[in-house]
Amino acid sequence: MTHLELVSELRHIVGERGLVSDPDALMTYNADGCVMDTHDPDVVVLPTTTEQVVAVVKLAAREHVPVIARGAGTGLSGGATPMRGGIVLVTSRMDKILEIDTRNNRCRVQPGVINFELTAFLKSRGYHFAADPSSQKACTIGGNIANNSGGPHCIKYGVTGSHVLGVQMVLADGSIFWSGEGIVEQPGYDLTGVTVGAEGTTCVITECWLKILPVPEATRVVMAVFNDIRPAAETVSAVIAGGFLPAALEVMDTLALKAVNDAYQMGIPPGAGAALIIEVDGVDDGLDDLLAEIVQIAKDKGAIEVRPAKTPQEQVNVWAARKNAFGAMGRLAPTYHLVDTVVPRTKLPAIMDDVKRISKEVNLPIANVFHAGDGNLHPIVLFDSTDPDQNARAHKAVEEIMRLSIGYGGVISGEHGVGIEKQEFMSYMFNDDDLGAMAALHEAFDPEDLLNPGKIFPRKVNPNELAATRRQASTVPGGLAAIVAKHGEKVWI
Amino acid sequence: MSDLLIQLGSAVGAEHVTPGADGLSVQGVSPHFVVAPGSVEELSEAMKIAAAARAAVIPWGGGTRQALGTPPVALDRPVVAMRTTRLNQVLDYTPDDMTISVGAGMTLDEIDQAVRPNGQMLPMDVALPGRSTVGGALACAADGPRRLGYGTFRDLFLGTKVVEAGGRISKAGGMTVKNVSGFDLMKLYIGSMGSLAIFTSANFKLLPIPRAAATIACEFDTLESVFAMADALHTSKLLPAACELVSAEGGQGFGLCVATDGLDQAVARHKRDVPGLAQKAGARASHVLEGEEHTSLWRRINDLSQSADLEPDEMVIRVASLPSLLGSALVALQVAAKKHALRLQISARVLNGIAYVRTRGTAWKAFHEVALTTLPEVSIVTLGLGTPEPSVDVWGRPPNGLDVMRRIKAEFDPANILNPGRYLV
Ligand SMILES: Cc1cc2nc3c(=O)[nH]c(=O)nc-3n(C[C@H](O)[C@H](O)[C@H](O)COP(=O)(O)OP(=O)(O)OC[C@H]3O[C@@H](n4cnc5c(N)ncnc54)[C@H](O)[C@@H]3O)c2cc1C
Repeated sequence: MTHLELVSELRHIVGERGLVSDPDALMTYNADGCVMDTHDPDVVVLPTTTEQVVAVVKLAAREHVPVIARGAGTGLSGGATPMRGGIVLVTSRMDKILEIDTRNNRCRVQPGVINFELTAFLKSRGYHFAADPSSQKACTIGGNIANNSGGPHCIKYGVTGSHVLGVQMVLADGSIFWSGEGIVEQPGYDLTGVTVGAEGTTCVITECWLKILPVPEATRVVMAVFNDIRPAAETVSAVIAGGFLPAALEVMDTLALKAVNDAYQMGIPPGAGAALIIEVDGVDDGLDDLLAEIVQIAKDKGAIEVRPAKTPQEQVNVWAARKNAFGAMGRLAPTYHLVDTVVPRTKLPAIMDDVKRISKEVNLPIANVFHAGDGNLHPIVLFDSTDPDQNARAHKAVEEIMRLSIGYGGVISGEHGVGIEKQEFMSYMFNDDDLGAMAALHEAFDPEDLLNPGKIFPRKVNPNELAATRRQASTVPGGLAAIVAKHGEKVWI
Repeated sequence: MSDLLIQLGSAVGAEHVTPGADGLSVQGVSPHFVVAPGSVEELSEAMKIAAAARAAVIPWGGGTRQALGTPPVALDRPVVAMRTTRLNQVLDYTPDDMTISVGAGMTLDEIDQAVRPNGQMLPMDVALPGRSTVGGALACAADGPRRLGYGTFRDLFLGTKVVEAGGRISKAGGMTVKNVSGFDLMKLYIGSMGSLAIFTSANFKLLPIPRAAATIACEFDTLESVFAMADALHTSKLLPAACELVSAEGGQGFGLCVATDGLDQAVARHKRDVPGLAQKAGARASHVLEGEEHTSLWRRINDLSQSADLEPDEMVIRVASLPSLLGSALVALQVAAKKHALRLQISARVLNGIAYVRTRGTAWKAFHEVALTTLPEVSIVTLGLGTPEPSVDVWGRPPNGLDVMRRIKAEFDPANILNPGRYLV
């Protein structure tokens, strides 16, 4: 089938308005928020229904063309970048909230629903969806699920994966089923669980049932200001070790504060080295005392000022500033590379020192805005990408931070995913056998490597070949497979 | 067979291989050997040997959940029980990180003893925690009453090392509380019943032991009023840690045990408010239990789902439904039990839609069939039968995506070595 024929068949499926094939327009879809590498898609479709998605995926399977699901493209690891061209399937027109069932704490939505819109919808009914990435004003639920996204409140409520009851999945061959609809224990492998965080490589999600939670009775927010990042990090470690269960513990360092202070007039004293946002929630009883204890820890560690956000509006402002901190980085440098890694929480102060040192060594500013309570740091390397030397130094800083983090017992990504950004780092954590187990799972879903190919696994690793090698190795001398051949289905029940 | 014995002995030490079943049996099938490796490497070696001998391997922790599933289909193959009980060490524990890595053969009680002195807990209330290993609990996706407040293993299981069917060692995840580095294989292994790989270690997120805790035990005459109370709790702003329905054994009526924990004031608030809700819903009485009374009550409740020690005429099933449908499902089961002259005992996590139902009596098979046919929208899994009966539809309604599941099994265990025939895939 020629390109023109493919486009024409796709047009037939999604209609003229659901199709992008103009070469200039295609460029818009050549990357997500990670511009490390770009690749134009062959064609873009914007379906409105599940049936259209199934038809597109079936056509792609028949013609052996990759399909890359894309939500809002806010991903920071290159997850939605069409590395081998193919069809980019954008979910932005599948943006309906379909059903809310408060009796069972669940709601059903299409994947293109914007996280914030769902949040607003639920809030008016006294509920919330716990995963609240800082990009929530733009990112989609489908993207959240595929990346298992986190947010400030995940320290208490868990990441996206803890709030997905089931998804309607379209597999690479176009077959479709619901992996779950709200019954929390069912026999069989957990296909929902393995699809969360699989970055669109197991299926295209066309609908999902999400777990929703009632808005807590009471919430308190304070911001503790420090003259350096280290005492802020020490406070976080001490609060965790002290057995508190705050709803959020977020740190912004001096550079980040400068950016948001200008944008949001937060009136942070100039020269403040770091701010720690502390939130507690639950039933009203006892919350003030709890907060007072946490604030005391902050003071003991050297907080120079503690500001309560007294009204709901003040709380909203604090969070708006925190969540828009990345955006505000644009005020500081033309480009930034946001590193996403997690360390055991006792290692936070040490790695903050390292980041500071690395910033000096590569002579580039590094800002920090992060989910401290989870040990999930986000050093933001600020540079000018048009300068090759700065590019190289930025790259060096990123690599050094990753290496140190792994050395501390950390992992290569806490919430942004592997995509293309981290695929070479995968071998820092996993050997070939570890990757082999992942390849085996991948193989069961996508034996032809058609769904978002070229992601997660290191570039030199072809997951299908890796899976094949494993299968081969399992056929030990004496013919293990013979057992299956001899007794056939019976053995398999 | 004797070659296999010698080879296994060379892998794990002759004293750790027992010829014969050593008292173990899975639904009438007895292993030919019981092997107890002392390390991941030994387990890997033993698995390679077992695979080369075309053995059927039954991973074996505390043995408390071997009644689950169908009997092994071993045909003419040697059957090896692979015990994880010697993998019972704490591997990595920095209390201030609130994470721990443990050998898969540790019991839940042993883990509790390791972390409790630091004011920490792994709030997974599995049945028979003194015998149940964490590997087995993960493999069977065991849950507990406090899933309401603390979630399940799926929320706290951070990383693992496993030995796969051919002896390959692989790991997944890590020791941090957040991690999206590659596919989430922990989710794949939870509940896979040892059909894909054998856990050798598991990493968990820990939680602080709450400062205060108490139970409000409410007594009701009817299931309807219990569920009215559950509804009231659901729509209140209260945040109980557990809410368990328990039917009085042999006697009349039902208890709804509401556990509250956390800050002193929050617990006091629940002690104040819950009895009021109970009274409105028609409770006969409610009592507040604290200290040892509270702790021992929950230890007893946690064990109500056990399927390790069954009387010959006993059956245990797990009923899972949308929370809103659980009440009517249990009423239907009550009616069916009455019709078939069975004694029924229920423990149910009412706000999660999970119930464990035990029956005593001879007509359990007819009851089971009625349950499956009259409650099609509910998942019914048989956890154990006092008298094994291969013809029982253990898994109930088949899940969606069975083809993908079969392909997963084929990738991980193409020769069907691990628990052949026992799982639904
Ligand atoms: C300023 C800023 C702040 C951010 N803050 C956070 C944060 O706090 N926490 C956090 O975790 N992340 C954060 N992110 C990263 C990003 O926003 C999240 O990963 C988000 O969930 C991506 O959603 P999206 O709709 O933009 O997905 P996309 O970028 O379009 O896609 C992401 C991945 O999901 C897959 N995908 C999308 N839709 C589907 C579908 N329907 N079916 C299958 N696969 C699908 C894609 O193939 C891709 O692999 C931030 C990003 C920015 C730019």
